[in-house]
Amino acid sequence: MTSVDLNSYVTFGYLGVFLVALLAQAAGAGASWGRRLVRGTLIFVWVAHTASIGLRWVESYRMGIGHAPLSNLYESLVFFAWAIGLALILAHYRFRAGAILLLGLPMTVLVMAYTFLLDPEIKPLIPALQSNWLVAHVVTCFLGYAGFAVSFVAAILVLLSDSSSSLAKRLPATRILDEIVYKSVLVGLPMLTLGIVTGAAWADYAWGSYWSWDPKETWSLITWMVYSAFLHARLARGWSGAKAAMLSVIGFGAVMFTYFGVNYLPGLHSYF
Amino acid sequence: MTAPETNQAGSSETGGVFDETIGFFTSVKTTIAVLFLLAAASVIGTLIPQEAGLAELKATSSPFLYRLIILLDLHQLYRSWWFLLLLVILSINLLACLLKRTRTLPGDWKGKDGQVSFRMTVEDGRSPSEVKNLLAEQFNSLLGIQPKESASGDTISLAWVKHRIHLLGFPLIHSAIIIILLGGLVGIVYGYRGYVSIKEGEEADRFVIKSGGSGTLPFTIAVDEFTLTRYPTGEPKEYRSEVRLLENGKEVLKGPIIVNSPMTYRNISLYQSDYRAVGVKWVKLAILNPGSEVEEFLVRPFQTTSLPGASEQIRLHSLDPGSSARGQGVEMIATGPDGESRRVEVFRNDPEPAEVGGRKIKFVGYQTLYATGLQVGYDPGTLLVWWGSGLLVTGFLLTLFTNHRRLGVIIREEEGRTTVEIAGRSRRLRQEFRQVVREKVGLALGNPQAGPRVRKGV
Repeated sequence: MTSVDLNSYVTFGYLGVFLVALLAQAAGAGASWGRRLVRGTLIFVWVAHTASIGLRWVESYRMGIGHAPLSNLYESLVFFAWAIGLALILAHYRFRAGAILLLGLPMTVLVMAYTFLLDPEIKPLIPALQSNWLVAHVVTCFLGYAGFAVSFVAAILVLLSDSSSSLAKRLPATRILDEIVYKSVLVGLPMLTLGIVTGAAWADYAWGSYWSWDPKETWSLITWMVYSAFLHARLARGWSGAKAAMLSVIGFGAVMFTYFGVNYLPGLHSYF
Repeated sequence: MTAPETNQAGSSETGGVFDETIGFFTSVKTTIAVLFLLAAASVIGTLIPQEAGLAELKATSSPFLYRLIILLDLHQLYRSWWFLLLLVILSINLLACLLKRTRTLPGDWKGKDGQVSFRMTVEDGRSPSEVKNLLAEQFNSLLGIQPKESASGDTISLAWVKHRIHLLGFPLIHSAIIIILLGGLVGIVYGYRGYVSIKEGEEADRFVIKSGGSGTLPFTIAVDEFTLTRYPTGEPKEYRSEVRLLENGKEVLKGPIIVNSPMTYRNISLYQSDYRAVGVKWVKLAILNPGSEVEEFLVRPFQTTSLPGASEQIRLHSLDPGSSARGQGVEMIATGPDGESRRVEVFRNDPEPAEVGGRKIKFVGYQTLYATGLQVGYDPGTLLVWWGSGLLVTGFLLTLFTNHRRLGVIIREEEGRTTVEIAGRSRRLRQEFRQVVREKVGLALGNPQAGPRVRKGV
């Protein structure tokens, strides 16, 4: 079995976990057996996902062009989905809010399904990416993105329960969701900061300038500023609930544009 | 109703502009507004091509947009006066908030501010020292540290202080951003970036500065060779320039410059940027001797080469990199001992080898002559930026992975019963800390169902 096959199974695995989570929610959100079942299956699929990334790494070495599987859009999407999976598991442990899986898992499935449209072939590393900074830069950025993704999911739930009281009854208390929105940003922002700093260090080392207002750089800074504004609005101005949730949604919009949108603008990151 | 109003009016009259300015710069509202303005400006900067020619912009934009671009420097937005002004406002805002917050830091550090997240009171029938030992055992294992103990009369005080370093997170993060912005400023004022293109076998010390003009390096770059290596699939694997740096004609540094591996001398860094094919370095031909042995030799452009073992001289005229079915090949001028010149074509795929002076010649291959493009970079602000980045990351890690917690216990005997007052403060996870302290008190004194009376702190 190749890593590409394993990725297809993992995609359907996440879809399966989503269905289990849906059933558990229908059966009664508070049931602890349901929560354990959902978490167990999610961890099982996520471990398989981890194995698929490891397998792809091994495969590249077997081909004689060994490098970490973080070198193109296909590989970065697989890693993004992995990071979201990890963040969902951690959030599920920490806050016991099954509802975030109902929105988070479809997102993971969507990200994985996107890889089906791309060329999965393992290619040798182009000179610009041949650096030890690659792994540190990409891993920290995507862990940050994953934190923001969970914040976004919780923010959407906050906005949903804010808009309809019948929905609010079925969802976790706004207080808990609000906490998830905030805590995920609190983890995501330091990760993004590390990602930007490692990226700047790499750029300085490879291109001789730590910052050159390349569109991807600029958009990562925009994302950083939006989430910084979020933290200040929350900690110093006491924003919470729907207002804070809106900021989190705007922030995630910036994340998505940093990831996908800038590919339509010219710049050094255009191979991603 | 009227008294406070007059009071307000009076204060704004006397305090005036000064207070308002201070208020503006210490306000978090300003921070949020400036962050959003910077973000919005940056978005515009990624939509309008930066550093593009004005003529190009004039051709592609409507007259109104073009006038707006000129008015607000939108084509060099990140260097425009108003973008820099926003950064200056942000810096002053950061500095003002930093000063305001660090004033309370020494008090927080010593724990004299007296703020608590929660307070609870428990009563117990056992003796104060017994209660003390039971509680200390639980709290020591909870926080992983020993308390400071003090006793006065019949009152015992215990104090646990954990991760005080957490308090440094805020000043570190905010001063780090000021340092990074300062580093950027130093780079803009004292640094430069440039570009130089040098042919293999040649040297140069002048370069073109990106923002206009040209500069001279305090050393000379001599390029010995440029190589482009490819993977078997044809994708580029490595761009490499073998260079020597000369100072007053003497070699001071020698080595390769590769993508992701620059060369630095006197704080000036040289980076592999691009390359151009500018000509032919040599052509390799072979003479097919009758005894089927092959004798290879090189012919360089603009030079006359004697044909080995013959009296003919040859000179390269032109090279075909493989545009026809005949494959790669060269056109040469061959001059015989009688001074007669004639044109000879030698192509790789020709069925019959060419003949010069009775010798059969075959085409073997050729080497392109490259000019390597090197970027020149000097930025004395970089060090500040790295210091700032280090502090920023440290600050975030402190904020995220440490938690300043304080737990104070006062035990006294009152009318034959022991009264315990517990006060705690946690910077993060307040609810959780209060919950776990409450559980530990229950465990220590074995009275979970009654539970301590909890009063929420101010």
